[in-house]
Amino acid sequence: MDKHLRDLPNFRPNRIPTKKTVKEVIYHIVGIILSLIFILPILYMLATSTKSEGAYAQSVGTINMFLPDFANSGVAFENYKSVLLNYDIWKYAINSLTYAAIVIVLNILVNGLAGYVMAKLTFPGKKLLSFLIIFLIVVPVETSIIPLYSIVKIMLGLKQEMSVLGVILPATISIFNIFLFMQFFQNIPKEYEEAARMDGANTMGVFFKVIMPLSKPILATVAVFCFIGVWNDYLWPSMILPSADDGSWPLLPIQTALISIKSIEGITTGEIMASLVITSIPIFVTYVAAQKYIVQGFGTSGLKM
Amino acid sequence: MFTTSIIILGIFLCAFGGFVVYDLATAKKHREVYRVKSSATAYLMLLPAVILAFLFILLPILYSLGYAFTDYYLLKPNDINFVFLENFAGIFKEISAKGMLYNAIKNTVTFVVGVVPLQIGIALLLALFVNRPGFGSKIFKVCFFAPVVISLSITAFLWEQILAPGEGGLLNAMLGIFGVPPHDWLRDPKTAMPCIIVLSAWQGCGYQMLIFLSGLSNIRKDLYEAAALDGANWWHKFWLVTWVGLRSTFVYILITVFIGACRILTQPMLMTGYMSHTVTLSYYMYNIGYTERWVGESSAVALLMTIFIGGITLIQRRLFREK
Amino acid sequence: MKKLFTSITSILLAVMMLLGMTACGGDNGSGDGPSTDAEGNTIVKIMFHVDKSSTEGQAYQKRINAFNDAYKDKKIKAQAIFKARSAGASGYETELQNNQLEGTLADIITFDAPNTAAYANSGLLHDISNLISADEQDKFYSLNKYNGKLYGLPIQESSAGFFYNKKIFRDAGIDVSGFTAENPWTFEQFKDVCARLKNHGVTAVDMRIDATKDETAPYLLYPFIYAAGGEFVSEDGYTATGYYNSAATANGFQFIKDLISAGYTSYAIGATDFFTGKVGMYLSSGWTIPDLDNKYREQFASRDDWGLLPYPKGTEAASATGSWSYAITNNHHEDKTAALELLKWMTSAESSKAITDATGMIPARKDAVKDYAAGSPEYTLMKQLELSGKERPVTVAYPTFSTTFNQIIAGLGNGDVNQLLNAATSTLQDAMNKIKDR
Repeated sequence: MDKHLRDLPNFRPNRIPTKKTVKEVIYHIVGIILSLIFILPILYMLATSTKSEGAYAQSVGTINMFLPDFANSGVAFENYKSVLLNYDIWKYAINSLTYAAIVIVLNILVNGLAGYVMAKLTFPGKKLLSFLIIFLIVVPVETSIIPLYSIVKIMLGLKQEMSVLGVILPATISIFNIFLFMQFFQNIPKEYEEAARMDGANTMGVFFKVIMPLSKPILATVAVFCFIGVWNDYLWPSMILPSADDGSWPLLPIQTALISIKSIEGITTGEIMASLVITSIPIFVTYVAAQKYIVQGFGTSGLKM
Repeated sequence: MFTTSIIILGIFLCAFGGFVVYDLATAKKHREVYRVKSSATAYLMLLPAVILAFLFILLPILYSLGYAFTDYYLLKPNDINFVFLENFAGIFKEISAKGMLYNAIKNTVTFVVGVVPLQIGIALLLALFVNRPGFGSKIFKVCFFAPVVISLSITAFLWEQILAPGEGGLLNAMLGIFGVPPHDWLRDPKTAMPCIIVLSAWQGCGYQMLIFLSGLSNIRKDLYEAAALDGANWWHKFWLVTWVGLRSTFVYILITVFIGACRILTQPMLMTGYMSHTVTLSYYMYNIGYTERWVGESSAVALLMTIFIGGITLIQRRLFREK
Repeated sequence: MKKLFTSITSILLAVMMLLGMTACGGDNGSGDGPSTDAEGNTIVKIMFHVDKSSTEGQAYQKRINAFNDAYKDKKIKAQAIFKARSAGASGYETELQNNQLEGTLADIITFDAPNTAAYANSGLLHDISNLISADEQDKFYSLNKYNGKLYGLPIQESSAGFFYNKKIFRDAGIDVSGFTAENPWTFEQFKDVCARLKNHGVTAVDMRIDATKDETAPYLLYPFIYAAGGEFVSEDGYTATGYYNSAATANGFQFIKDLISAGYTSYAIGATDFFTGKVGMYLSSGWTIPDLDNKYREQFASRDDWGLLPYPKGTEAASATGSWSYAITNNHHEDKTAALELLKWMTSAESSKAITDATGMIPARKDAVKDYAAGSPEYTLMKQLELSGKERPVTVAYPTFSTTFNQIIAGLGNGDVNQLLNAATSTLQDAMNKIKDR
């Protein structure tokens, strides 16, 4: 039931059920139609992953694009089987998961600390840093990838083993996340901290023992967007990481694997889509699981620009 | 590059030192009290972020903005010369000759003017739509967010099929039922930008919907009750309670959507290629910087764009910020 | 807690210091002599643009291994670097320019043929005119030349042609068996076949005029302009005015526009329409052969159902050529002997055959004999290369040429050919002047 409906003046809990049911039905029909518009790409992905190349070519441009090929259910099975067995997708997925895990921890630590300092502490030079945060959010970064590449290469030297750091380190800093943390922490009442300080905690203790436990929503928000970012990134890793060597474990993340799968000779559109479906699952699971927190994460922060 | 980076680091530290000294000097006037210990802790806690941000964000940006004053050609990295304002002269010549850059500016403005209200409007409507308890609305919430996480190459390909010219296009096929003749949506200069606007709004609004939802969850319920007692109708409640309560959320969304919209690149790139009726500023920068390899000129455009976006953002903050 | 924090910061700091150190000490191998390993082998590095795990990458690796076996006694050792060309234009080239800066450029690199002029002009590539004998040069269908000098040798060739649906042609009673690579059809005969296909009720030909987002349309359509007697740029690659907008060039584009106006082709043909039997002919490169052989069994059960026709001929015959090539780079190694040995090895008839056996493309050498049956699609592509292959215009401003070509093709539907050409010419000329000044 709508929170707002409850507040309407003519709202009566004991209304005739039929009228309410009609309203509910209309609401859900509208919702389903809207949802279909938004999940078209997913339907397309799922449907295409069940098709042979010929069936797919036939379906393009018709409503069948979004409907699975029921006639040949064996094809779907074949597509998924071939993707999972022939191309080592899972190795690349493990890489991405590892990178994501490290990036999430470091990102929260580095940016969380910075956001806390910017929100709660006073120190000389704060104005310059506040200005820098806004400036760095605004400035476009399209051309900065060339110098960034050079900087990372100079820093890491020429050793290929170090290139993993080239993927992780730049991803650990996010001005935007500092901004989010800053906004969130500003809204945590002073009383919590003061109480902890009375008990003799220092600034670090306050951060880890008081602030962090109160910040689950923003932590979840940052973690989810870090994860989506790492999982979907391909241009930068493919520039910085060496290509896979025979036998050894590849270093590349999942999206670069998807790109090279697409260019394998003889692969069908159905197989490509099957690989995309498989690799989209972690994102969806994470998002659905953390959705409640994301809303709170933005909510309590009040977001003042 | 190494030495230049050290010099930039030096300048950065000097600037920071200057601000520190200024803050200390004017501390009394602003009634600020700086404690040595607490300030030291603050610096220490900031250190990892500052080092990383300096290396991976500030330094690359400063470099790329610095290239604006050079004749950097991608294939001659050992031969970069300082050319002062030559790139900017080239830019103004290109604009006055109504070249590609002129189109890029025109299209970017069209896009921003179109997409900002559309995307924010749809996001707000969707947020109001799903802002109720129940299983259905939870599922809808997940669905509306789906395009945000799906890879852009899939959504772009799908939209190409929807907007395909001739009877093969889904949209044309649907309009054909009502007797509308097929239309080449993406090649017609009149319809290409509107299509890209709708596509982008569809793609991105799920994210703003979430932020609006969190804004809505912050509005105190008793405000609605109070309004109800005053006999407010649906519109009054929206305008006086919901909208007022969403104000700061709205400013935040307005600024972030605006900045994002100014940088639009991937959609025209994947949908139409480098054509005068859909080229945008970021696409122009990408093309001139990477494809044609003129990094210097591309950076000059980036510099102007930064100043422009920054200026508008400041104006927006002034206009909409709570007093 | 404080301890934890201090340790974290110190670790972070330590990591960064370490990284800074390696940066300072990263000055390796900037001497003039060739690199050698512990056993005294001369090391030659070669960089490929494909993923190592791909079929093509594995074919390269096999040839490198064979080279190392053969040159064990001569103490030369080749090392392959695989840097897959990522989806963005920036990846491979950023790598090249950074290698150039760092002094780590490989001795041999692979590069796309249209980049010859830009790379040679910027001093990236080594002039091999005198290192490869004239006899040897004659054996290739195409060469990467700029300003009369040789800078690269192609890995393999990928010509293009008109795939046609034999079933549709049989039903429409159209006989095209007389049109071969040796005896190509004319522009008029091409239009005639289109007219008869149209009368038969199918879309005549997919000319890929919708593929103007990348290099597809320029690569497939530029031969029409040469066939009409047109030109794009001057010999030195610095003048477009008078070439790109010449009357003959306009004739070439007009031919394509006529096909659109007559309704033989359109921008509205779906990407899969040929494969589902809705279109009679389909202009595409040799890449499509394996697709037709394997993927579209429902429509094309065997090669009796589809065939390949050459490019039509105007005042002269012309067909698409130019693919990825090898080049020796101007890196810090003054002595190019070892690199030359490797280049010769990789472009030998044996390597050429081995690599194209894996990729299914046409060998770049005439003496890498493949037993293609006369009249087969592969045979047509190979013969066409030999008889009428003509490369894309050689100019430092090639990227601008490519985008302006796309803009012309996209504008042909409603625009006036001469107006489009004049606009494109002035854009291209500006770009050329700018690079010339640089």
